[in-house]
Amino acid sequence: MPTTTAQLLRRATASTFEDLAFLFLEPECSEEQAAAPLDAAVSVDFHGPVRGRLTVRVSSMLMPTIAANMLGEEQARQVPLQRDALGEVANVVCGNALPMIAGADAVFRLDAPRWIADEPRARDGDAPAATVSGGVDDGRAEVELFLFGTPEQLHALQTSGADATSTAPAGSIF
Amino acid sequence: MAFNILVVDDSAVMRTMIVRTLKMSGVPIASIHEAANGEEGLRRLQDEWIDLLLLDVNMPVMNGEEMLQRIRADERTRDLAVVIVSTEGSETRLATLQSLGAAIVHKPFPPETLRDTILRVTGVTDADYYGPVAATSDSLDF
Repeated sequence: MPTTTAQLLRRATASTFEDLAFLFLEPECSEEQAAAPLDAAVSVDFHGPVRGRLTVRVSSMLMPTIAANMLGEEQARQVPLQRDALGEVANVVCGNALPMIAGADAVFRLDAPRWIADEPRARDGDAPAATVSGGVDDGRAEVELFLFGTPEQLHALQTSGADATSTAPAGSIF
Repeated sequence: MAFNILVVDDSAVMRTMIVRTLKMSGVPIASIHEAANGEEGLRRLQDEWIDLLLLDVNMPVMNGEEMLQRIRADERTRDLAVVIVSTEGSETRLATLQSLGAAIVHKPFPPETLRDTILRVTGVTDADYYGPVAATSDSLDF
């Protein structure tokens, strides 16, 4: 059973993939999709009531399609632009998910997206507050949200979320 | 009327997407200029005649809110039509931007949303955009 933060993250992720990259995030992966590696990755760090990081990992076979759908066929052949396109997907997912989770009054500053496919998957002690994954085209995608802060800051975030009171019992946000 | 448009966004990908959307939308375009932050955008406004500004909020060097405040404080640009194109979700910040006379388009956006917002803020009517609509014989039969 997904938690509320995961549900909000899925909503932001699915709408971004659909409206920005014209790709559908399927909740379940087929065998073929599940076998595809998550070998392309970007992250966006953010600062505000809490600080954190959102990572988007996709199968690299999806990169030309994402770039083509966002920028046109000609631009899609250039690898740096493919990476920039995935970075913009991460930026928009992050920008849409944070107000849903932290509430509409919270102001966040987002850093520029960063290519992280060559970095270790997780830093020591990091555990995601929410993870969303699913099949996309012939590959798959995974989005992780990391939140860093004191227990008080995280609790304040928990009680200020836009949909927290309407969609989840108290205490189930994370 | 064809518009001279300035797109200010720190993401080259998003600028390309917005320009692509503008060209697909059918909005009459005279020229399109680009800038990567508010400071660069203000310099563009000094150098070029711009009818419409499409502006991101979260940018390095100078963000969109500060750029918009400076535009409204300058009598040469205070009446410029401005559309904020951003993921910004803070209602406090959005209210500030709207109080400065900007329309808001939230990313991700369908092309028709951007087109309709541009037509609204620039005052282009449906008749200007689509041309005069001929009355059908049925509509005269009363």
